[in-house]
Amino acid sequence: MTQASPDKAFLQVDDLHTHFRVRGAGWRSETLRAVNGVSFSIAQGETLGLVGESGCGKSTLGRTLLRLNEPTRGAVYFKGQNLVGMGRGKMRAVRRSIQVVFQDPYASLDPKMTVGEIIAEPLHINNCYRPARVAEMIDCVGLQQDAANRLPTEFSGGQRQRIAIARALALGPELLILDEAVSALDVSIQAQVINLLKQLQKEMGLTYLFISHDLSVVRYISDKVAVMYLGKIVEMGAGEQIFSAPEHPYTQSLLSAVPIADPSYRKQRQRIVLKGDLPNPLDPPSGCAFRTRCFKARPKCAEQEPQLETRATAGHLSADHVSACHFAEPVVPDFMKINTNTQTAAPALRSGAILKA
Amino acid sequence: MSIATADKTAPATHRFAWLRSGLHIIGQSYSMMFAAALLAAVLLLIVLVPLLPGYDPYTQNLAVSLAAPFENIDGRTYILGTDTLGRDLLSRAALAGRVSLLIGLSAVIISLVVGVFLGLVAGFFRGFVESVVMGLADLQLSIPRVLLLIAVAAIVGPSVVNLTVLLGLTSWVVYGRVARAMALSLREREFVLSAVTQGASATWNIRKHLLPNVLPQMLIVGSFELGQIIVFEASLSYLGLGIQPPLPSWGMMISEGQQYLEIDPWIALLPGIAIFMLVTGVQILSQAFTSEGQFDLASPQKGT
Repeated sequence: MTQASPDKAFLQVDDLHTHFRVRGAGWRSETLRAVNGVSFSIAQGETLGLVGESGCGKSTLGRTLLRLNEPTRGAVYFKGQNLVGMGRGKMRAVRRSIQVVFQDPYASLDPKMTVGEIIAEPLHINNCYRPARVAEMIDCVGLQQDAANRLPTEFSGGQRQRIAIARALALGPELLILDEAVSALDVSIQAQVINLLKQLQKEMGLTYLFISHDLSVVRYISDKVAVMYLGKIVEMGAGEQIFSAPEHPYTQSLLSAVPIADPSYRKQRQRIVLKGDLPNPLDPPSGCAFRTRCFKARPKCAEQEPQLETRATAGHLSADHVSACHFAEPVVPDFMKINTNTQTAAPALRSGAILKA
Repeated sequence: MSIATADKTAPATHRFAWLRSGLHIIGQSYSMMFAAALLAAVLLLIVLVPLLPGYDPYTQNLAVSLAAPFENIDGRTYILGTDTLGRDLLSRAALAGRVSLLIGLSAVIISLVVGVFLGLVAGFFRGFVESVVMGLADLQLSIPRVLLLIAVAAIVGPSVVNLTVLLGLTSWVVYGRVARAMALSLREREFVLSAVTQGASATWNIRKHLLPNVLPQMLIVGSFELGQIIVFEASLSYLGLGIQPPLPSWGMMISEGQQYLEIDPWIALLPGIAIFMLVTGVQILSQAFTSEGQFDLASPQKGT
């Protein structure tokens, strides 16, 4: 776990919990631990990809960082300031630096406002409206200037997402939370929007928290990747480490599902198919939360909860690579073998080249 | 620069797009055209008749009492005949229409403002505020409105202003409930959430995002309510608790005419037909703006 002191890291999240009270049977109210002790940090200008299946708490985590959900406990240090428990006036000032792009490009734009009004809204809210800034934002997301006078209904999903990005960037934020920002788009449009995001990151020095369930997208955009399962991070490390040498069985099974374009290789691959669904988050399994679906599960997993830590196993690549499994063991995923066209070379060294290609 | 060239699609055309598509729908259906014709006839009666020579709703002339429609007495033609006191029914019907429509529209505006405000505040803030507002609404619904209005009208005295305010304040629940239901869904929408992350206050969100999105639906509810309020005002006037003579009202004209129903049925029939035409016209037309679904919040607006 990164133990940088809070005043040094750009964004540091310490043991963050977000619990919801859910009405259970009868009078009992149960606690849903949507985010259950998550810690990570992001350096300025970096992209952290957060992956996990539906319902694992990744969106709640993003919303908690935005203070749309109140955390139950834990701390979020943004440039040394703890956002948890921060007063309303101070929070208002910080909000300008942390902005969000949501998944649904149809619900994220007010149908009654023109695109110009939508992009101007954050400026009006913060009393810093300048018409030139709106025009600048329209330019920088690659839209035509005459878009300003049109309604969002006249635009396609990809264009709407560009509008949402322009609105998020209008206040000049430093951290952008991309909550499934490209998941609702066509693959070809996804690529355009992701390239736009990469370009904007380079130009403005933005930091991204990229929440997604799409591994290939995450792999393309992320510097660091965290894998979430049932409210907890089960594996985290640099992008190429996670993709070339995943240690946690859950990450391995996710990666075994990455599509392979070449049919001749498709037959050779070994799919790890998980049994069953995500366990009931109101009643998570004892010990390791993943054990009910894990192909490696042994009695120890039910008794003792594995900690997120560096695993001293053979072939280990970096001290930054942490995983929460008693039996962690790096395995090279099939799609990596094919992409590198070799089964023996150290995948980590190769994958960097692929990401650039 | 290019913002100026884009004036071909000025924002104003978007604002009234619903009106244009509404007119389009009217043109496509015979029932809508029929309703528009009914409404136009009533509006012509209300607007044009007081401008014609011979408009005189008050002068009594017992010599011409109970004249039949189109009867010519002393060189003057009473197009719709006269009532017991010899007053010109066409003039009275026109003035009564103005009164009814004025009361109806004012009451709708009052109830819409109150209902939308309470509904949006309840739906946006939830919690205690919501419980109080919805409790008030249930309380209001549990008391029969006619009884309440009769009681209050008897206490404060029947006058046009009192009647309007009373009708307005007792009809907010419909707007309140619809506005709250929509606010509940809108407050979780991403465009509201993103405004929150930009530092927007609750007032900002209610004013800029909730209000514009619920207003079209509220106007539809309002057009529906208008008919009901006019009928309601007519029934109160019929009971003698609404408009007071000599000011005419359609309801009062019916109540005056019912004594002569067997010999001169038009006295009661004419204001009855006028109410029917106005209410039917408004109600059918209000569907022109609902059926197409452009105000349907649930269906995402598709754009290509």
